[in-house]
Amino acid sequence: MATDQLSVTFAALADPTRRAILARLAEGEATVNELAEPFPITVQAVSKHLKVLEHAGLIARGRTAQLRPSRLQGDALGDAAGWLADYREFWEDGFDKLRDHLARG
Amino acid sequence: MADAAAAQVIEIARVYPAPREAVWAAWTDPAQIAHWWGKRGWSTPPESVAIELRPGGVFRLDSVSDADGTVMRHDGTFRVVEPPARLEFATEDSVAIVTFTDVGAGRTEMVFRAELAITDATRARAEGGLESAFDRLGEQLGG
Repeated sequence: MATDQLSVTFAALADPTRRAILARLAEGEATVNELAEPFPITVQAVSKHLKVLEHAGLIARGRTAQLRPSRLQGDALGDAAGWLADYREFWEDGFDKLRDHLARG
Repeated sequence: MADAAAAQVIEIARVYPAPREAVWAAWTDPAQIAHWWGKRGWSTPPESVAIELRPGGVFRLDSVSDADGTVMRHDGTFRVVEPPARLEFATEDSVAIVTFTDVGAGRTEMVFRAELAITDATRARAEGGLESAFDRLGEQLGG
């Protein structure tokens, strides 16, 4: 996993509108117009968000010139979750050892 | 926290069969924290522990890989010190709150909540952790 890519992924996930777009795409692929519909923002703004998500590797976009439907890409999200899991593991391991330490005391 | 590209929150709760004074001491006594700090397969040299138990005081210790000697340093500062109930500390890229609650029968509930940001230091630590994970994978595969 490239860590620079991980930063890009986390930055992309930091925005609530982008997370909402990802949640929508979890239900299936959608065009930019379909994605813009539930948000009080312009199609252009949604397009910008899609570019960020695509750059972060979180979505892929179709090559059909007009519609370019977006769909979720699993890998980047998996890497981000893996990094957090590793941080959590540091503490979980420590707290297991703390239990053993307290049992000895 | 500096350079907070994105904050992530991790919360872990444990109940220990020990009074909270004992759990507090395990966190704040340099000799004790060296016994449990860090990942499995990593050890803390007692001489690396620096604990100044007051707001603004140093909270620093090393975690050294038993396998290859890689060092992960925790370089923090205490923000809140309320024995034996609450400890808060910050590092360059995280803020953590640890609370200790008496839940009866000599047991203590410990809740650890960390908010972390992605910075260069975090990335370096993530890489160290990943190496550790790959090492363990190697062990599992008989490498």
